[in-house]
Amino acid sequence: MNPILTVESVTAGYGRVTVLHDISLEAGRFGNVGLFGPNGHGKTTLLRAISGLLKPKSGRILFDGQDVAGLSARAIVGTGLIHVPQGNRLFPDLSIADCMALGAYSSRARPHEAENREKVIKLFPKLAERWRQRVRTLSGGERQMVSIGTALMSHPRLLILDEPTLGLAPKIKDELCASVMDISRGGVPLIVVEQDIEFLLELTQQLYLVNHGAVATEIKPGESLDHGEIMSMYFGH
Amino acid sequence: MSALAEILFGGLFQGSLYAMMAVGLALVWTTIGVFNFSHGVFMMLGAYVAWQLVELGLPAAVAFPVAVVVMAGVGWILQASVVRPLIGRPNIVLVVVITTLAAGSLIENGALTIWGPRSKQIPALIDGNATIGGVGVSLHQIAIIVITPLILAALWMFLNRTRLGLALRAVAQNEDASHLVGLNVTALYGLAFAIAASLAGLAGIFMGGYRFMSPVMGSDPLLKALIVVVFGGISSISGPIFAAYLIGFFEAACSYYFGLYWTPALLFGVLILTLMVRPEGIFASRSRGLA
Ligand SMILES: Nc1ncnc2c1ncn2[C@@H]1O[C@H](COP(=O)(O)OP(=O)(O)O)[C@@H](O)[C@H]1O
Ligand SMILES: [Mg+2]
Repeated sequence: MNPILTVESVTAGYGRVTVLHDISLEAGRFGNVGLFGPNGHGKTTLLRAISGLLKPKSGRILFDGQDVAGLSARAIVGTGLIHVPQGNRLFPDLSIADCMALGAYSSRARPHEAENREKVIKLFPKLAERWRQRVRTLSGGERQMVSIGTALMSHPRLLILDEPTLGLAPKIKDELCASVMDISRGGVPLIVVEQDIEFLLELTQQLYLVNHGAVATEIKPGESLDHGEIMSMYFGH
Repeated sequence: MSALAEILFGGLFQGSLYAMMAVGLALVWTTIGVFNFSHGVFMMLGAYVAWQLVELGLPAAVAFPVAVVVMAGVGWILQASVVRPLIGRPNIVLVVVITTLAAGSLIENGALTIWGPRSKQIPALIDGNATIGGVGVSLHQIAIIVITPLILAALWMFLNRTRLGLALRAVAQNEDASHLVGLNVTALYGLAFAIAASLAGLAGIFMGGYRFMSPVMGSDPLLKALIVVVFGGISSISGPIFAAYLIGFFEAACSYYFGLYWTPALLFGVLILTLMVRPEGIFASRSRGLA
């Protein structure tokens, strides 16, 4: 399979601070991709560059063959590359219904609105019970469901999740992981940043360790490692 | 009876004008997070554009709506020239105070150059007078009292019942998340300014129909609108609307019982008390959201 997303020598940062140093990776050749690595080493920054929230200083980002580096976030949403940001801050004073309507805002997603809404409700039945409730009144797990649900309303061709289980209680986290697996089985390719390596090993076929704004190690299918080896990659060389 | 009628009428009338002005300030604050200090100039310009169109021979029924649309364009352009380039700066609130003040001062002096200092007046919405509850009032003022709530209700419907209004409310709450659902954030910023400027322009047309216009006619209403949004809380649309009418009634009552001279002092007294009790109501809490 051709990679659906290719990041080629991307350099990016904030102001004069460079966070990503010439980073390159590929996604979609073997299935879902997991990114992991210590905090503050540029995973979120990479995702922000991919989705157009941050303009890369140099490099190319090919989504399905088209260079999207430097396009507006809106244009990138229009290609079907959808990013669920870290921390599910969302729209605190909007209702779940409003968030879903916003998810279907792009002209690409609008025709599929009803069908995607069905899917979201099937995946997260809890949301239907609280359909008119404001996001700020929801629990952390529910807010994460709204984040992911909103992204599904955007009719993704590639879905990027930034630490979807961050800060969730174990039981809620397991439920959410199962839902993410469901999304993947439904045919949407994923790129997932996650601290929980077990979850990544289960969900993804290819892993990248991001360290100091670059790929330190790539783990391809067949080279599956155990937890201990990954932990040693985290903490020492 | 006549005292009550006078206060009620004066409050409704002043409150209407304040609400029209304050809602625009609040809309811009909630969506973009900046204070637009050229908002008073929008009011003045709306009145002068309407006056000019009437001078050119257009009937008021055409001139007024055209002036309101022109003001939408002016708001959009002002946003694109002195606000949009600064978005993303850490000190944007202060910088935009300065750029909008500067732009406002330029426009004010432009108006002075083009139209001169002589006072002007535009036609009333409706000519004539009536006596209600023993108080003589002009039909123009009654029209304003009736039209303003309709316009504010329409704005509320737009924000709460349409997808575009939903998008505006969304940008107000989370800019990154708005980008990530594909909203055109820059256009929505422009729209917020355009709506604010048309409402201010309409307030100017209302005012020019019963008072003489001058290039500085917007500065006092701007000050009042600022008081209203500070008083009413800035993070919503409904807060300032209620506050506008409240302050309208307060002013009407003050000037009835204590005279016009004491009214500003009493108003500021109330404002300062409010700030002492609820200081977080102003700049500190930047929770934004239109509702
Ligand atoms: N908005 C920002 N402005 C400046 N620096 C930032 C900003 N966001 C993140 N950083 C810095 O960029 C680096 C990488 O952060 P991030 O991409 O969030 O890492 P990760 O997601 O891997 O934890 C960190 O050093 C962080 O302090
Ligand atoms: Mg991160």
